[in-house]
Amino acid sequence: MNEEETENFVPDKKPDPQPKETERREFIAKAVSIVAGGAIVSIPIGTGLATLVAPLFKEGQGGVKIRLASVEDLPLGGPPKLYQVVAERTDAWTKYPEKPLGSVFLRRKQGGEIEAFNSSCPHAGCSVGYRSKEDEYYCPCHESIFNLDGSRGDPCVSPRGLDSLEVDEERLGEGDVWVTFRNFAAGIEEKKAI
Amino acid sequence: MRRFFAWVDDRTGIAKLTREALFESVPGGARWRYVWGSTLSFAIMVQFITGIFLWMAYSPSATTAWESVYFIQNEMTLGWLLRGIHHWTAQIMVILLVLHLVQVVIDSAYRAPREFNFWFGVILLFITLAISLTGYLLPWDQKGFWATKVATNLAGIIPFIGDDLQKIIVGGSDYGHHTLTRFFALHAGVLPGALVALVVVHIYLFRRHGITEAKPATRASALYYWSLLGFVFGTLTILAFVFEDATKQWVPRSICGVFLAIAARIFFLVFRGKDDDSAARPKRDGMFWPDQILKDAIACVAVMAAVLFFVFRQGTGLTPPADPSQPYNAARPDWYFMSLFQMLKFSAFEGAVGLVIGAIVVPSTLVTALFLMPLIGKSKTGHWINVTMLYGLIGGFLILTAMGFNHDANDAEYKQGVANAHTEADRLKELISIKGGIPPEGALTLVYEDPKIRGARLYAAHCSSCHPHGGKDGMGGEVKEPSAPDLKGVGSKEWIAGLLDHEGYVGPKYFGNTKFRKGKMADHLLDLDMLPEEIEAVSAALAYEAKVYGYSTPEGGQELIDSGFDLMFEDLECSDCHGIDGEDEGSGPSLTGYMSRDWMVRFIGDPTHDDFYGKKNDRMPSFLVAMQEDGNMSDGELSREEVELIVGWLREEWPRADGKVR
Repeated sequence: MNEEETENFVPDKKPDPQPKETERREFIAKAVSIVAGGAIVSIPIGTGLATLVAPLFKEGQGGVKIRLASVEDLPLGGPPKLYQVVAERTDAWTKYPEKPLGSVFLRRKQGGEIEAFNSSCPHAGCSVGYRSKEDEYYCPCHESIFNLDGSRGDPCVSPRGLDSLEVDEERLGEGDVWVTFRNFAAGIEEKKAI
Repeated sequence: MRRFFAWVDDRTGIAKLTREALFESVPGGARWRYVWGSTLSFAIMVQFITGIFLWMAYSPSATTAWESVYFIQNEMTLGWLLRGIHHWTAQIMVILLVLHLVQVVIDSAYRAPREFNFWFGVILLFITLAISLTGYLLPWDQKGFWATKVATNLAGIIPFIGDDLQKIIVGGSDYGHHTLTRFFALHAGVLPGALVALVVVHIYLFRRHGITEAKPATRASALYYWSLLGFVFGTLTILAFVFEDATKQWVPRSICGVFLAIAARIFFLVFRGKDDDSAARPKRDGMFWPDQILKDAIACVAVMAAVLFFVFRQGTGLTPPADPSQPYNAARPDWYFMSLFQMLKFSAFEGAVGLVIGAIVVPSTLVTALFLMPLIGKSKTGHWINVTMLYGLIGGFLILTAMGFNHDANDAEYKQGVANAHTEADRLKELISIKGGIPPEGALTLVYEDPKIRGARLYAAHCSSCHPHGGKDGMGGEVKEPSAPDLKGVGSKEWIAGLLDHEGYVGPKYFGNTKFRKGKMADHLLDLDMLPEEIEAVSAALAYEAKVYGYSTPEGGQELIDSGFDLMFEDLECSDCHGIDGEDEGSGPSLTGYMSRDWMVRFIGDPTHDDFYGKKNDRMPSFLVAMQEDGNMSDGELSREEVELIVGWLREEWPRADGKVR
């Protein structure tokens, strides 16, 4: 700002450093800049990514055992009935005393055996319905048909039949239908619990 | 590979762009004083990165905002670090902004042709402050809520448009879901968008005009630097003497900081052999890459180190969830708004007009002065005026901030408010872990159902005007001269034993300040002059009736308890006045289930009932049923639930981590 002051500058007496040294200094400067810059940027990015991928290392909440009906509610050899699964569940910070988790088809076969299917389609997870006229399960998304026993019908693009769920035999003897509800990975042949 | 890059370059021109970005000439060589703009860009980048990740976990609504932040802070993997970096970078960014501004003004970098760039910079400063202000509310905790309420109310007093403006900002007349969604959209969308746009223009203009060459101004601006350092140092030293209390902590630290800076500078000069700007020697022109970038990178490392230091050292607080019905004595804005906050306390800004002057006119004038700097600073005198003005601003900021903190350091209510917020936040954390989560209605319901938090609040509000609790009001606050028994430890063997001693009974801790001081019981205790063994037995028997939290069978076992009851029926003639063990006949308070939960609820509900004081009741109100003047009964001051909470708190019956309630 003050032009006079420029005159007071002492000229640089030192000769320029050797080109080799300049090169070396420049290389070090570049290396330090890149390493330091990379390190400090990786701190927020790394922390953020850690929070993002954390669900990969968390176990699912697993199956939930729940009473859905009494045996008498299901007519012998009758059509399947859809039951809502509502149970206590924690969703991130919220603990819901009653949270809808999904739905289950229950059917009492001629022999008295109880059959339970998760209503979620093993193809891509749409909800499967029961068509009484055709007496079959039908997924409206990709028009898959499942037979009453859950096996793949025709046509059916699903890689596997409907997912059966475990029914508690002991409780059945007491007249109650208890089912272990869980979800399975969609789109694969294998029935894999998630 | 080479061909691929050539193809990309041909279609995008990226090589030229990179060259232009990196191989900018830095006249006079790289300098430390040029790093502030880069550290700011770095801080902005960190805020964008951490902000976007926080966005993935944050939920803006009145029943989920606090809860999701709680989850980020306490449950999410490394969430505390993510939030910590975001929070502390925001604090440090304000300091970097000021340093950047100081550097620009001192080096007169606002002069032609850079006026527009200066103006954009000032606008950026205010956008950053607006982002800070909106971010302060997002956790929806007591601190953010009350501070933001003040800020939005101040927006409401802006002449002509204030009312409507406030309603638009708040999303209605009440603070709630829409306040959060609006603040969040401003904080994470509108304002950062504007920030990016302006930063682009700011950097474009900077590149257009190049760095303000410090060479001709070196000696003078070095002088300014030193004088500024000296000025800040001097102001802090004076403040340390004026505001001894507040400054106990931060002034010595700041002075240490300034000392360190000076020491580092001297060390640097000696070490480098007068190779720097204070030696006023022209340097060869440098290149932005890598000369200046190296300095920038090192400065950014220092910024990150400072951020991490605070994250680990101070942590990132979260006060209890926002509750408009629960006053918060420690409501304060963030430290950089403290000076404005403090200014509003001056009597010069009293009343409606004063408030408009203090909250709007004065700040606007200062902002206008900032904007005018490039025009004022055209001449040498003008520049001098600008630097003086800047000193004045910084000095005023320091003094007002010190006054604000000094006031708080001497304000018992403020300190108690902070302490209570900490206690309640810790308790809430414990409750959430006991319950395994937060109910869908939000964390505030946990606060309202908890005897430990809510019972204490209710006691302080409804009981402590007569009954102290360990000499305080139940929440650590001071009480005036007590006029009824101190209820800390009520129902415990020790509390009861203290009452059975005549000295104690007529003393200030029990009935000394009530009419019972001269009652039948006082006379009776004086006549009896009970032996220590008798007191031991009777207090054991009555504590057995009460069974407050922590009750355990006394050393003498059931025998001692039985002997206590025997004494009450026979030698001590207690049963002449008091109903004991279901035999109700006397005129004194029933001792059946004495100080048990049910007894206390009924007692507080209506002490004038025949089971208790009856007509002899001194001044104790009936909290559940109150007699109106026309003789009708009505609801009392409290609800049954509230009385239960007070009783639960007095008996220390609240959910604990070990699963025990009583």
